[in-house]
Parts: sequence; structure tokens; C-alpha cells
Amino acid sequence: MRINTSRFGRIDIDAGDVLRFPSGLPGLEDCREWALLADSSNDALGWLQSTTRPDVAVAVVSPRRFVPDYQVRIPRSELTPLAIADIRQAQVVVVVGKTDTTLTLNLKAPIVINLETRTGRQVVASGDLPLRYELSCGRPPLRKSA
Amino acid sequence: MLVLSRQRDESIMIGDNIVVTIVDIRGDKVRLGINAPSEIPVHRQEVYEAIQRENLRATRLEPGDTEAIGRFANRDGTRPDEPGKR
Repeated sequence: MRINTSRFGRIDIDAGDVLRFPSGLPGLEDCREWALLADSSNDALGWLQSTTRPDVAVAVVSPRRFVPDYQVRIPRSELTPLAIADIRQAQVVVVVGKTDTTLTLNLKAPIVINLETRTGRQVVASGDLPLRYELSCGRPPLRKSA
Repeated sequence: MLVLSRQRDESIMIGDNIVVTIVDIRGDKVRLGINAPSEIPVHRQEVYEAIQRENLRATRLEPGDTEAIGRFANRDGTRPDEPGKR
């Protein structure tokens, strides 16, 4: 299928690659279908692109690659809709944002994708995690307390 | 909005399987106990609203903004598990 995007032009995706988010994303509740696109210039980065709204896409990364000590704990109620028994069965990505000075990662609300059913959901992780974790070269460790 | 008065240890029911109990009242702070089926997420509203705002901010990011992100990635890491197609 062909989708229109404001950032990447028209692109062809396999209909079987569409990810369904039954609740949308918070703030984008009407966006229920997404495609995960690889970034052409950076292999650490992907773009979650709405298949229905060309202008809506968020950059995502695998948090392990940027925050090695990120250990996400997700309440069972958040995973039940995805039919995931164990978080290790899922792909977890976090949304990239930016401030005036740097890029940030939303560690509080990771996106969890059940790759078997191609269903996803943005969840609220337990504990004291930042919505805007600032990326820097000398990364401070996450606080251990929760 | 429906407004109900409750005292400590009293509850309200929402539908037939959600029970909200007033656990404690101290000054201007009320502690609530919530019993809901495991598939119903319960959030503090301000946390959910902050996530909504953060997502809307994130949709303003353009590919040109992310060029520097590779500098922050671990070299020993692997690619995202399933990069998808482009």
C-alpha cells in the first residue's frame, strides 16, 4: 500500500507491516495505524509514521542503545491489551523529542509493540522516569530510586 | 459532572467492576484505593496529560533535527530490533 508523508514523500509499505495502535497515542488518539520506517541516514533511528495523517510522525529509538541502565517496569494492566505476558517478547522503543539545546528521550512512556500481532501501545512505566531525558555525551546514570 | 460525598473507608462503584475507595483524608490530601480489572490502566491525570503534550511536541521533529543522534548511541549496541522499511 502507498502512504503519503510530509517528511518522506510517498512511500510504499507492505500492508502486513502496518502496526495497529487500538488506543492511538496519547494526544494523537485518532492515529490508530502506523508504519515503522528506518531512517535513511541513521541506523539507530526509526520513524513511527501515521498511515492516515501525512504530517504525523515521531522519531523513535531503542532505549538500550542510548541509556544502557534503563530498566523499564510496566504495570500488567498496560500490557494486557497487547497480550504480552513478558516484556522481553516485545519491542520497546522510546519517542525522541528536542529542547532548544539537545535531543531528549521520553523514558516515562515507552512504546511497546507486540511483533507477532503487530499491535502497539504507548504505556506509562512505573517509577520516577523522565519525560525528557536529555541526551549528552557524558550521560549521567539514571537515579536508582523509584 | 456527578458529585458524591464520601467519608473515609466508603467507596463508589463505576460500572460493575471498578471500585474507588477513600482510604485516607489528611488536610487537602485524599488517598484513594482503586480496584479495577487488570486490563484497565489507571493514571494520575497530570502524568497522562504531560505524555500527550510530549507526543505533540515530538511530532514537530523533522529528520534534520535528528542528525546528531548517532553521536549518543552506543557503538556496541545493535540496530533497533526491527527497523522496518523505507
